Amino acid sequence: MPFYALLLLYGVALVLQSTVLGFVTIFGIKPDLILLLAILNGFLLGPRQGAFLGFAGGVIVDLFAGSYIGMNAISKMVSGYLAGICGERLYQDNGLVLSGVTFSCSLAGLLVDYLLLHSLEVQVTILHAFFRVIIPTSLYNAVLVPFFYGRVLRSMKTRSREL
Amino acid sequence: MVRRATAKRLFLFAVLLVATLAAMHFTVPERTRSVSLEYRFRDTLAPVKFGLTWLSGQVRHLMSFPVSMVKAGARNQFLEQEVARLESQVVQLTEYKLESERLANLLNYKQVIPKDYDLLAASVVGRDPGNWFGTVCLNRGAVDGVKENMTVVTPEGLVGRVISVSSATCEVLLITDPRSGVGSLIQETRISGVVEGIAGSIGMARMIHIPNNAPLENGQAVITSGLGSIFPKDIPIGQITDIRREPSGLFNSADLRPYADLNRLEEVLIIITSNT
Repeated sequence: MPFYALLLLYGVALVLQSTVLGFVTIFGIKPDLILLLAILNGFLLGPRQGAFLGFAGGVIVDLFAGSYIGMNAISKMVSGYLAGICGERLYQDNGLVLSGVTFSCSLAGLLVDYLLLHSLEVQVTILHAFFRVIIPTSLYNAVLVPFFYGRVLRSMKTRSREL
Repeated sequence: MVRRATAKRLFLFAVLLVATLAAMHFTVPERTRSVSLEYRFRDTLAPVKFGLTWLSGQVRHLMSFPVSMVKAGARNQFLEQEVARLESQVVQLTEYKLESERLANLLNYKQVIPKDYDLLAASVVGRDPGNWFGTVCLNRGAVDGVKENMTVVTPEGLVGRVISVSSATCEVLLITDPRSGVGSLIQETRISGVVEGIAGSIGMARMIHIPNNAPLENGQAVITSGLGSIFPKDIPIGQITDIRREPSGLFNSADLRPYADLNRLEEVLIIITSNT
């Protein structure tokens, strides 16, 4: 997928996330579509691409939010990179494997978010951070994977065959 | 040669990381609030976000309608009883109010209960995309007379305060955001404390620094104290749902359920001027 198309996809995901997804929250938690895209890209394209696309997606989120610019860029870069490493070592054609990878990589990225917030003196207790944000968001992302995975994988494989 | 290329790549990565960390520290809200790019983004996207938010709200209403009809009969009966009870309570409160005004006149005491707010209605057009913070974007901005630190409420209670204003939109920090702090007191006992957010968008807040000898009960109402010069006095905030001792042992803290449903906000009121 061309880079500009991916940026557009990130933009659409971001607008959906700040509007529509507010209506499908579970206990106030909504899925992180940008993080999900970063992880899917990393898993399928490798660590370097994953890190770069995660960073690009994160920068868009940061510019949109207008504060703490760089926080999402770093955390999503970490998630994308880790997903890339997992993609090189694990079987790619299994949705369950990717759900597990999504959960782990989301957890890692959100943990980085928490550490960065801590360094910026935003006080969130570790229990609240884990049980009310990090684990629920990671679970929500992992549950959404089967809905995206088949389409993304099919589209990527079709493209590579065409090339 | 390969080692040199790797070293160069690592160096560039380190520079990027340091620059990103520096940007993060320089863009802490309320340290620098003039990110014009953010304002342009927000103003440009506002109509799209408004349309999508409206559409999502309609879909949610449509989908929840059949579910709401299931227990409509029992609920209607309960609401009728509740209306009757509240009507009698209103009569009683009106009586108390008149009595209070008579006594205040006798003592020549200036009423401090806010009566006159200039309110501006606004619609929520977007929310913070992440789960850490609780902010919403409204479709009112500087051209409508909105300024930073104005209080935002619903008829149910306090929502938060305006933290940034562009020409067509503004951003509101909800009381459930971990960066928020509201001077407050327990209505019944007049014991003061600070209401702060717990984490992002979970819809709960916490009142801290309550002296441990203060009588606390679940269900007590918490209102703004008016101290701190941002929020006007006597705006309902929420109801105590859980009480716990703070680690220092000197204070208690209490979890609050805000009166305003902050996860389902659609329309809010901005207090443009208050006479308190």
